[in-house]
Amino acid sequence: MVKFYSQSYTYDYPFPAVTLAYFLRYPNPYSTHVLSTDTISRHFDPDTQRLTTVRLHLKRSKLPAAVLKLLPRSILGASAGGDTQSFILEKSVVDIREGWMDTESRNLDFTGVLSVIEKQEFKRPAAPSRLEDWQGIEGATRRRESGGFFNFGSKSSNSNATKESVLTQSSTPEEKTDVVTTVTLHSHIGEKWKRATTTPSSSSEEPPEKQGFFKSWSTASIQRSIEIIGLKRARRSQPNAKEGMKVVLERMREGGLVAVLEGMRKDRERIMGAHGGVRGKGVNDDDE
Amino acid sequence: MSASLAPECNEVKERYDNCFLKWYSEKFLRGTATTDECKPLFEQYEKCLSKALKTRGIDTVLKEAREDNRENDAEHMRPARNGELYLLSN
Repeated sequence: MVKFYSQSYTYDYPFPAVTLAYFLRYPNPYSTHVLSTDTISRHFDPDTQRLTTVRLHLKRSKLPAAVLKLLPRSILGASAGGDTQSFILEKSVVDIREGWMDTESRNLDFTGVLSVIEKQEFKRPAAPSRLEDWQGIEGATRRRESGGFFNFGSKSSNSNATKESVLTQSSTPEEKTDVVTTVTLHSHIGEKWKRATTTPSSSSEEPPEKQGFFKSWSTASIQRSIEIIGLKRARRSQPNAKEGMKVVLERMREGGLVAVLEGMRKDRERIMGAHGGVRGKGVNDDDE
Repeated sequence: MSASLAPECNEVKERYDNCFLKWYSEKFLRGTATTDECKPLFEQYEKCLSKALKTRGIDTVLKEAREDNRENDAEHMRPARNGELYLLSN
């Protein structure tokens, strides 16, 4: 059985700013559970003007008590309290010419228990000569001697111009970005074991004690329960993800890229301070 | 900037991230990018990171995930925008 969760939303910010915020969304005050973000591959195609990025995020998470009750901790590799860390693989494609960004994130750990795939489709609302408009604004920004689009790397003299340029863009009513988020949850628990029993020659991937464990349970009902727990979690974490993006976008509007980076630095310090490093335990334990 | 999972790569990651953000906001978003100007810095970062991923045994997890995804994508092929297949692995 598979469960889905879907939601549409519109950011009151122009598409280019939203794509930039997506790359800069961690850390933010709503994502203190994200410990690290690394880019593992990136490809720019000059012909299509598309950028493809694969990133790896490490998140601290707390497994719900309900899952801990359903499954032995030995399977989950979690502490008694359910504290654990998990990797998320994220792929994104930005097409600046056509004005869309598709993203896909999936968990790399516990996929045997529950695989969660989150897809997001960001879209610049359709309008004629959009790119020309955008370049027009950019031209105006340059004429005001801002020295750069989001005012990269300059702390003082250019900040007013940047503020003005980003404000100009976002105050235009049609400068909005639509996003559709879809989360797919699929529990595979017990499936590997079933496969292993049908092909006895292949070496069993699962430790033998699990077979005894699963014998006393209906695989389907465990899968269903885990998917429902995952679905509740996905519903709960979506507003946080959205608020996190909005914080980054707000910082961008107020002070350009410099303000975003400064905000990130403070958020990161707070996270490190609260957890005492990557393996630490946090106070602000939000789920995602 | 976000931290690297490997603290020893933080410095080279930050250099790359800075380069990327500048290129992305000043060239890519304007539609005037012709090449990925930060590639040399990315290669340095990648060198450090792949070593770290290997040491921590994450490289095999990643490899498996990408292979799994290829299988899943083959099973549930769906045309994405512009008729292309949306694959997680490159």
